[in-house]
Amino acid sequence: MSIDRLDLPRGGIIGVIGPNGSGKSTFLRLAGFVEKPTRGEVLFEGKPAGPFFPEVRNRVTLLPQEPFLMKRSVLNNVAYGLRIRNTKDRLVERVYKALSYVGLDGKDFAQRPSYALSGGEAQRVALAARLVLKPEVLLLDEPTASIDALSAQLIKEAALKARRDWGTTLIVASHDWQWLYGICDTVFHLLKGRFLGTGRENVLFGPWEPMENGLWGKPLGDGQHLLVPKPPQALAAAVIENVAITPQVEPVAGAEGQIALSGLVTRLALVKASGSIVVSVLVANIPFTGTLTERQVCDHSLYPGRMVAIRYQIDSVKWV
Amino acid sequence: MDFLLQGLLKAIELLTTIDPETFSAVTATLVVSAQSLAVTLIMGLPLGFCLGYFDFSVKKQARVVVDTLLALPTVFIGLLIYAFFTNRGPLGEWGLLFTLPGIAVGLTILALPIVIALSATAVESMDRQLRVTLTSLGANRRQLFLSTLWEARHGIIAAALTAYGRVMTEVGIAMMVGGNIKWQTRTITTAIALETNKGEFAMGIALGLVLLLIAFGVNLSVSFLRKRY
Repeated sequence: MSIDRLDLPRGGIIGVIGPNGSGKSTFLRLAGFVEKPTRGEVLFEGKPAGPFFPEVRNRVTLLPQEPFLMKRSVLNNVAYGLRIRNTKDRLVERVYKALSYVGLDGKDFAQRPSYALSGGEAQRVALAARLVLKPEVLLLDEPTASIDALSAQLIKEAALKARRDWGTTLIVASHDWQWLYGICDTVFHLLKGRFLGTGRENVLFGPWEPMENGLWGKPLGDGQHLLVPKPPQALAAAVIENVAITPQVEPVAGAEGQIALSGLVTRLALVKASGSIVVSVLVANIPFTGTLTERQVCDHSLYPGRMVAIRYQIDSVKWV
Repeated sequence: MDFLLQGLLKAIELLTTIDPETFSAVTATLVVSAQSLAVTLIMGLPLGFCLGYFDFSVKKQARVVVDTLLALPTVFIGLLIYAFFTNRGPLGEWGLLFTLPGIAVGLTILALPIVIALSATAVESMDRQLRVTLTSLGANRRQLFLSTLWEARHGIIAAALTAYGRVMTEVGIAMMVGGNIKWQTRTITTAIALETNKGEFAMGIALGLVLLLIAFGVNLSVSFLRKRY
């Protein structure tokens, strides 16, 4: 990872998106104080902190991508954090309440051994083990990946309830960008260990080959070509911050210095923080996103299945 | 084949009549094996944990050394201990030669690599998410160590049982360091060796069956504990 400086606000919901291997899990382990950075430092309330620091040990907790439950009953798994804090008061009651947060009945589940749970139940129990601690900061690493739709929904609701009830700061890494845009105050886009911006950038991967007029690009398979300026290397990743989206008018052609491509609207997602709408467009097999106002979406009659034209300036392409 | 049946009958007789000589050997065996296992676990578990848990520059080399020590010949350990504990040896003034604690020292050297290697394997095979999970739930270093040991408990019990089986059935060290002194340092295995040399096969088989019974009792207890925890 290479981060110059990053400030995460207290009480907010911060989303982190990025492709596999971009460093999301590493970032969460660093921000969750379970790993030390090889260089630099991670501060909590302005003071340097790290694994086992008393300032963060009882206040920050991370739910890893693969839920790990100890070889104990559900009750003992959820109560573990309380027990190591010597909290004995109303232990069972607290565990039952935490289980209810994630939609599990304490009476039914508390005595079950961890190996008797399904993947979705295990993930919910793992989240309950964090919620029972009423954390000030809760980091969730792909909390809804590889689990059933009901479990995913319950986990999303439980995380938001923690924020509502205790003011917990949520930091969520997920591929579910629609959910992230819907709940997050801020979304960061992570690529190759670096933060790019707000998460609505389009990241385009090579290999690139020389095209006409000194431009480089790659064929998209449907007769169109994705054009970029000369890359630093053939496999470099390109970033386009925003693309313009307009109804398709034949023929699709860009103005001077502008690239135009034809694509299909696949999704519309509301950005809670700004009220704008993220429009997802599939050009051949490459997804693009553009941010429009509600007015623009209405005026252009954009809806999933509609053919549109996307446009970007060739000089707006940046290399990572 | 009669001596096998005779051995079985003799074993029943020795145990039911509480034969003093047999029980002296049984007691000596239990004392040295318990003493050596206690010291082995106290020393071996933390070392095995460190070897399995931490990544350090000479980890592979340390692992090779421990694995090699698994094949340490018992007579060689007996010879070394004898050389150290004999009156002319560097530790001769401790007066441990031909004593039960002397045998226990030798058995500890024998069992230590077993506990280190097997507990390291048990800890190494733990899910890598365990550390992240325990740390993120607020465990401090001591709690992390204890909880990891607890999670690896089945593998560690297997290590302890293997070591216990090895020290209880060992004969070379007990013979060389203990001297096979009747009522003093005669263990079940050295008694079996002696009785066989004398041609008393029935007595040897009887003592062997006693050894098996002890092993069975220990395994039964451990199996009960594993089911419960």
